[in-house]
Amino acid sequence: MQPKRLQTIVSRQKWVAIAVATIVLAGVLSVVSPVFLTLSNFQAILVQSSVTAIMAVGMTFIILTAGIDISVGAILFVTSALFAQLMLVTGNYALAFSVTLISATVLGLLNGLLVVRFAVSPLITTLATYSIYRGAAIHLTGAQNIPVPREMGFLGNGRLWGIPVPILVLIVIVIIGVYILNHTRLGVYARAIGNSDRSARETSLPVARITVLVYALSGFMAGVAGLILLARVGGLQSGIGIGIEFTVIAAVILGGTKLTGGSGTIVGSVIGAVFLVLIDNGLNLLNASPYIYDMVRGAVLMAAVAIDRYSAFRQSVVLEARREARIVD
Amino acid sequence: MSVHSNPVVSVRGLSKSFVGKTVVSGVTFDLFAGEALALVGENGAGKSTTKNMLCGLLTPTTGTILVNGQTVPKVIGAEHGISAVHQELSLFGSLSVAENICISDLPGAKMRVDWAAAERIAQEQIAFLGIEIDARALVETLGAGKQQIVEIAKALLHASKVLILDEPTTSLTAVEREKLFVIIDKLKARGLAIVFISHFMEEIYRVCDSFVALRDGCQVGQGRLAEVSQRSLEEMMVGRTLEDARVNLAAPSQTPALEVRGLSSSDFKDINLTVHRGEILGIAGLMGAGRTEIAEAIFGLRAAVGEVRIDGKAVPRDVSAMMASGLCYVTEDRRKNGLFLNRPVRENLSAAHIAGFVQRKLRGFGFRGEKARAHDLVSDMNISVPHIENNVSDLSGGNQQKVMLGRWLATNPEILIFDEPTKGVDIGAKFDIHEKIAALAATGKAIIIVSSDLPELLHITHRMLVMRKGRIVGEFLRSDFDSVKIISLAASSNEGGQDAA
Repeated sequence: MQPKRLQTIVSRQKWVAIAVATIVLAGVLSVVSPVFLTLSNFQAILVQSSVTAIMAVGMTFIILTAGIDISVGAILFVTSALFAQLMLVTGNYALAFSVTLISATVLGLLNGLLVVRFAVSPLITTLATYSIYRGAAIHLTGAQNIPVPREMGFLGNGRLWGIPVPILVLIVIVIIGVYILNHTRLGVYARAIGNSDRSARETSLPVARITVLVYALSGFMAGVAGLILLARVGGLQSGIGIGIEFTVIAAVILGGTKLTGGSGTIVGSVIGAVFLVLIDNGLNLLNASPYIYDMVRGAVLMAAVAIDRYSAFRQSVVLEARREARIVD
Repeated sequence: MSVHSNPVVSVRGLSKSFVGKTVVSGVTFDLFAGEALALVGENGAGKSTTKNMLCGLLTPTTGTILVNGQTVPKVIGAEHGISAVHQELSLFGSLSVAENICISDLPGAKMRVDWAAAERIAQEQIAFLGIEIDARALVETLGAGKQQIVEIAKALLHASKVLILDEPTTSLTAVEREKLFVIIDKLKARGLAIVFISHFMEEIYRVCDSFVALRDGCQVGQGRLAEVSQRSLEEMMVGRTLEDARVNLAAPSQTPALEVRGLSSSDFKDINLTVHRGEILGIAGLMGAGRTEIAEAIFGLRAAVGEVRIDGKAVPRDVSAMMASGLCYVTEDRRKNGLFLNRPVRENLSAAHIAGFVQRKLRGFGFRGEKARAHDLVSDMNISVPHIENNVSDLSGGNQQKVMLGRWLATNPEILIFDEPTKGVDIGAKFDIHEKIAALAATGKAIIIVSSDLPELLHITHRMLVMRKGRIVGEFLRSDFDSVKIISLAASSNEGGQDAA
């Protein structure tokens, strides 16, 4: 019975696989490098992964509904630009923070509305808004670098009760995400819609409303992530957020969320984000050329997708065999 | 029999048209608390459309639905206490049993879902149905029978007045089916009105009190089941119109063209059949009996074990080998699997025989004779299209089907397998297609027709095989065709010796 139970846990809690992979990788790295196994290095890794992990929490909801959002990096960029610009002009933190987070949510909401309204593939819809949002930000800033006030550094590099602030923010976001996914209607409906759109409609679930809400939620998360990134970097640079959507989506997929929707966990996505940073960290320790990082990341994602397809195939074979057995007996 | 008070739901002159085509017209009946009504009819008779109007998935074109004597423009399932278990389950596999059952009305405060309460509700529902299922299990891990129970439990949560069951037994074993009937009896005792849709006569007599019979979208009979024999009920469903107007078919030869020996897969078991030159063989059976699967397996589109011989020679079951041996398969779903909708008629006609048109001198540059052949086929098949360069999507269903047929005729096949050759085509095109098929047989081609349209098979085949649950359970010669016998054989719930579970 024991192995069967273990198998059930692994198949139901899909984050277990990535957690094991992360621990193994960490083990290997601690053998390779003596500095790896230190508290400060752990904190550094978590801080490094906080931006993508926060965005991965939002993206998990979208992928659970069988959607995707390519524009999260652009939302991050445009709202960071807005923040930097507002601080430059008004110097009012309350105003800048609230405008940034609200506009991030609104841009996500807009994505959701477009996806629902035009019923075009979310990939194409958000590819279009990606270009629009990023273009708008460059227009807004004139492609210039804008510094943010020094106090902002607290959000990126400061500590509270001895813990780096980005990690605290991540913890709060994860708690909110887990709560929404497991204890609210939004969470259940998001999983249900991704699992079977037809069933969702036959059960008259509010498919359109839920879809819009998950994109808005992801937009909000991108806004939060943008503020932390801005604080860590010290100001707006025109390269901010480019390619981050790849890392975010990869983290979610590595974390065990099915691209076809319906099943996945917040914790898995966060571990996925940490795993990706560990790989960079490992390559760094091995003194690998920075030019191969992207290749390795891509290969890891490819491997994760292949393993996922294989286990889905295995599962369908098992279910089929069970049905066969039922017919025979 | 309960004493009749007022009906809980009444349906008066319900009709539904889709883009000008009427699929249901003038359906009228009453539902009483504690009684089960059987909705009977052949495939395509309008049962599903009627069901969908009753549970609110479709809005009737005309007619009224009265709930407790009051007219409602459109049923809102949850509001009016009517809910349905659809033939195709509307469950979420990656969600738990409790989540599935409670999903449209989750307990708890505005923001927070009370999972303990949801599990309790789900467990109560399941316990009432008398089956043991863990409310925390994921639905995808359950077998078909238990999934069906979960679906019923889910529907029951909102069915305070009427529960509609659409073919609820197709995926169940004999034991599970009996359990389901006990549950239905319980629900009737609880005061629910049941609408039961099934092809299986035994089940209908076991479960129901009254019936409404539909044919071609029209109501052809209604009454108490106690007052009508199974045979007359079946006669109502089948009708007798087309049966009398059979075409004259030329006598087939005795030379076997296609022989299938011991063909088996997960969808059908041990299929043996032979078609002779000049013969039209029909394969009848209900939806899900495995007819299409057999046709696809013979043509090599589907994995199976067994032997296929053409003109006495074994041929590997592989599409290109089959085509080379002169076999062709005209699919049931022409829009999805057959036609290239947004390509011209010309290309669709030449698609199966493209190698025959390739230029010899300048290899691969352009096609020779393709247009001329397309023109020939258009006039030969009587396809009405303004020009061969028009897209196939511009054509009517009947003309699209003729294009499909023409494409395969371009390959000069010796054996043709038609899957639902006249599905969704108008009467005129149906006549043309039937005539063409009869003419092909007269020139010595061997033909198999798979169809759920029984009158069509009676009309145009020399011989008919009847399938039930993946097995051939009967064979009829044209001289012995009897629609009532055929339908009761196809729909018997006796498992045909398949298992004695």
